[in-house]
Amino acid sequence: MTVAAGIGYALLALGPSLSLFVSVISRKPFLILTLLSSTLVWLVSLIVLSGLWRPFLPLKANVVWPYALLVLSSVCFQEALRFLFWKLYMRLEDVLDSFADRISRPRLFLTDKLQIALAGGLGHGVAHAVFFCLSLLTPAFGPATFYVDRFSKVPFFLISAIIALAFVTIHTFSMVIAFEGYAKGNKVDQVIVPVIHLSAGMLTLVNFASEGCVIGVPLLYLVASLTLLHCGKMVWQRLIESRNQSGPTLR
Amino acid sequence: MDRNHQRTRSILDSLGQELIGILTPVSICMFTVVLLVCLLNSDPSSSSASFSSIATAAYSETDSDSSWDKLLGAFLNSLVFVAAITVATFLLVLLFYLRCVNFLKIYMGFSAFIVLANLGGEILVLLIDRFRFPIDSVTFLILLFNFSVVGVFAVFMSRFSILITQGYLVVIGVLVAYFFTMLPEWTTWVLLVALALYDLAAVLLPVGPLRLLVEMAISRDEDIPALVYEARPVIRNNDSRLVQRRVWREQRSNVNDDDLENNEVVTVVRVETQEEEEEEQRSEISVPLIDSSRPESSETFLEGIGLGSSGAIKLGLGDFIFYSVLVGRAAMYDLMTVYACYLAIIAGLGVTLMLLSVYQKALPALPVSIMLGVVFYFLARLFLEVFVVQCSSNLVMF
Repeated sequence: MTVAAGIGYALLALGPSLSLFVSVISRKPFLILTLLSSTLVWLVSLIVLSGLWRPFLPLKANVVWPYALLVLSSVCFQEALRFLFWKLYMRLEDVLDSFADRISRPRLFLTDKLQIALAGGLGHGVAHAVFFCLSLLTPAFGPATFYVDRFSKVPFFLISAIIALAFVTIHTFSMVIAFEGYAKGNKVDQVIVPVIHLSAGMLTLVNFASEGCVIGVPLLYLVASLTLLHCGKMVWQRLIESRNQSGPTLR
Repeated sequence: MDRNHQRTRSILDSLGQELIGILTPVSICMFTVVLLVCLLNSDPSSSSASFSSIATAAYSETDSDSSWDKLLGAFLNSLVFVAAITVATFLLVLLFYLRCVNFLKIYMGFSAFIVLANLGGEILVLLIDRFRFPIDSVTFLILLFNFSVVGVFAVFMSRFSILITQGYLVVIGVLVAYFFTMLPEWTTWVLLVALALYDLAAVLLPVGPLRLLVEMAISRDEDIPALVYEARPVIRNNDSRLVQRRVWREQRSNVNDDDLENNEVVTVVRVETQEEEEEEQRSEISVPLIDSSRPESSETFLEGIGLGSSGAIKLGLGDFIFYSVLVGRAAMYDLMTVYACYLAIIAGLGVTLMLLSVYQKALPALPVSIMLGVVFYFLARLFLEVFVVQCSSNLVMF
């Protein structure tokens, strides 16, 4: 509606990521590089998906199943890419560890690995928020606003910012869960991440119903808070474990 | 040693610092140009005044021409521009060969003043007009004059505060880049690609002017006056030989181009690494992502992009300008292309830096980034936008 509203919507979607960035990521230059490369990887995935789906667009207006197919294919592609990303990260970890040995510094700590995973996840979240929400915010800086037919109570920008916030949370923390799951071979963690992603994607299809956002968005936030809780529990357990392992010498 | 209170430093604490040191000013420059484009171009009727420069000498684009005409015209424009740049670079090589270094330095200072005063003044007037900022012309002229003179000194003198020097270099980059975004659309894209190819040829071919310049500088053990951005200060208190000098080639269109280099002498490099070692023992080890401790090699080029004597990365100002032109032109379409092009350029810069650490010689910084940027722009414009708008407007996200 005005510059203030535009900035408000942008901060709504990206505020927590900004504070995460300033407090954790900007401290270590390597994490900033990880964030940028992660954002690039997910941008490339979006471009590939859009290239694949381009011949079929624009989809018919009120039919749900093409969109379901779109979400399903995109989530599968992105989860496969996440696995590849993890493989790449393992190689990077080896390089960093051998580098640390070469200059006789300690190898990567557990907190380092978790921070790298967090930066990777934040990159995914930021890529989602930027391309699904921020890039459409340009009209919001002008004098008017825009409502979608399906949800006439709230401006389009506001609802997309709220959904983007939920997705940022989901993406950021599911990357941490996924990395730990792949590293430890923990099947539960490995499976729960695609399930969360897919269910979040499918929940947005609920928005197709008229006034469906009233149900869809709170459920989405439920999924986001579940992700957050699971990640927090997992990280806490790992930290306690590693502290017990390394004995009484505190770091 | 009190183990409980000492936190052992991991390598992650300082790895990759020089990369961030060069990414930050590039990002600031691009962000400022995008901001200027968004603020000043929102009124389409006023931008119909065409920007005539050497880059539009062969053909000025109008909306009514067909696509083929526009493409042909853009090719002609780029050809003229690249030819002009080549001539100017060879002129520079000639002047350097004839040892007219003082003339070059004075000319550079003069051009820096013209850019800051003239282009800076024009943009400030546009901004004042846009925001209806109340200021009278006398105050404005005095402030502008002071700003430009401080800029010339900052860019010239070696003992200026590094932050101000870096700030002024970024400002010069922003000003020139903004004026380049005012070129017609087709001309801009073809020009960017043509310049990327020219940069590749000029730096890597044996007959390329920039390569000749570097070889001449090495054979004479001299510094080339160059306008480069260095991510870390290179001036030590007791070492007055390492002085940053500037060169600026100006066209009728006030265009700066290309990235020139500096070269270090072997003994100086050894002195610095000794000092650096002492420094490192006192503080934590600042681990370079790119291994720059090579006291044996006598040639540490930086051209386009390279390594400075203190291991800091140097990037020519021309690279700043053309990255920002690409992003600014993407901003004229939509913000989605801006984000895509920004990520592509950063990726290209990262790739170039990795290549630099592998090949250890002067590398052109334009080609990879510009090519990636152009590819991503067209991909985003043709594919991504439709896809994302289709999904988001139905509130379907994943």
